[in-house]
Amino acid sequence: MLADAIAAERFRLSRDRASLFWGFAFAPLITMAFSIAMDMFARAVLHRTIPGETTDLANRAMGAAAGASGPFTALFLLIGAAAIFAGDYRWETWRLITPRNSRVNLLAAKLIVFAEVAAWSLLLTALTAVVAGLFGAMANHARLVGPPAGPAFISQYAGVALVTWLEVLLVGALGALIGVLTRSTMGAVIAGLVIVFVQSTLAATVQAATWKSLLIPAFAGRVLKTFVIAPPEMRTDAGQAGLALVFLLVWLVALTGGALALFRRQDLTKE
Amino acid sequence: MSFALEAEGLVKTYGAVRALDGLSLSIPAGGVFGVLGPNGAGKSTLFRIALGLVRPTGGTARLFGAPAGQSSSLRRAGAMIETPRYPPYLTAREVLRMLALESGAGGSADIDYWLERVGLGGAADRKAGTFSVGMKQRLGLAAAFFTRPELVILDEPTSGMDPAGIQEIRALIRDLADKEGVTIILASHQLDEVRRVCDRVAILSKGKLAAEGDVEALTGGKPRLRLTVSPIDKALAVLGDKGQADGANAVLADVLRAETPALIRALVEAGVEITEARWREADLESAYLGALEPKDLVDAR
Repeated sequence: MLADAIAAERFRLSRDRASLFWGFAFAPLITMAFSIAMDMFARAVLHRTIPGETTDLANRAMGAAAGASGPFTALFLLIGAAAIFAGDYRWETWRLITPRNSRVNLLAAKLIVFAEVAAWSLLLTALTAVVAGLFGAMANHARLVGPPAGPAFISQYAGVALVTWLEVLLVGALGALIGVLTRSTMGAVIAGLVIVFVQSTLAATVQAATWKSLLIPAFAGRVLKTFVIAPPEMRTDAGQAGLALVFLLVWLVALTGGALALFRRQDLTKE
Repeated sequence: MSFALEAEGLVKTYGAVRALDGLSLSIPAGGVFGVLGPNGAGKSTLFRIALGLVRPTGGTARLFGAPAGQSSSLRRAGAMIETPRYPPYLTAREVLRMLALESGAGGSADIDYWLERVGLGGAADRKAGTFSVGMKQRLGLAAAFFTRPELVILDEPTSGMDPAGIQEIRALIRDLADKEGVTIILASHQLDEVRRVCDRVAILSKGKLAAEGDVEALTGGKPRLRLTVSPIDKALAVLGDKGQADGANAVLADVLRAETPALIRALVEAGVEITEARWREADLESAYLGALEPKDLVDAR
């Protein structure tokens, strides 16, 4: 059953502390450490505070969540994805596991556990952004302020976090497909990173939201996040945002479906 | 008769290599069944197809009557294929815990009992990746047996073990088959191991079945007296239906040990010269070599 495969995969990943740390915790922690170091450096060099400076912790958390699908974070997410999806090829352990559950369940469990851990990683990203913000506010004697959106911030934050989570799932699905295809953890990381970098670069050069440009996941994600954050009176065409969401989901289904179809028929001779 | 594993016209090709070439074989439920053959005979491929690890190019394989690779039938089987490997970050106990969760056995799996039974009680909390080959084999055996399956497929289960460990594992296999009714399919290169442990044997050669039968039938059953004699026709006349030529100047006599003095006396009295007499134990090696073509043996080296 799928529930058994999920329980096994969850148990297993909980013991693989190196992959958990590097794949899902390192990027938020190093970003926080860098932010704190910059605040300390600025304080040490300037020897004074900036009068009237404010810190909006909520927006810092949202900014961190929005940026958690970029190439830097993707590199570490791909390390985690490679450990989850291609680890059994690397350790030659498919032959130990495959006879105990269906192949679809085994890979689906990995995808679900990746999605779970990615959600925790996004939460950690937000928390570390808040911690770094608090430290910066204390160091610079900045005043803490609430978000300009007021209570609407919660739905905005939830929207941005969901879109980022969707983008992160795409990175995981990409790692799954490449991992199964190449049977290699290194292959999943390197090929995955090249693809993430290329599509991020393409997305940065695109301005107009056409159906072609929305096919680029990073651009579709940006359009969706802009739509979610913008106040209702300033929102762009909802049709574009809808199309962006559809394209992101299509990519997710295509990549996970491809990985599942490939794995179902794959000969596990020498993993 | 119910069958644990059935193969019918099974074909598996890897590019130009034909690992299985129309193999047909039925392995009955119950007892220990040995699968012999030189390297590349198709033993591991047969097992991998049975366990759903590889897909056959042609033919069918059935596990307990259901198509091989189906989850329902795989849940009734345990296996150890080639030298087992484990995620390096898991201890021996955690490996079994993970596999128990994977197969839905959860809390019902008696992990500590099986770790003790295969001699890994003291190493249960050591990382499995640091184990010696023999310890990995032991953990693989525990992994194959601990969910109490009806069928266990073992590929070279004692390779890399010390002699005491080999004896221990052979006893465990025989014990599980005799007392708990587990069907065990065992591939081994150690003919002596197969002779001691198995009830029936199949010999594979180039992806086909070369011979199959009870171990006793294949080996000739009980020990026989081999006499180097001259002239051989006179010796065969004395032995009657208890004798059989074994080469140009030797006979195999199917007699009891207590009858040996009388037989030798009768041969000498009939004018037969005896230059050597020795008991030959039941010999699987002869049956094995006899079933293979000489070219198979050259290819396998």
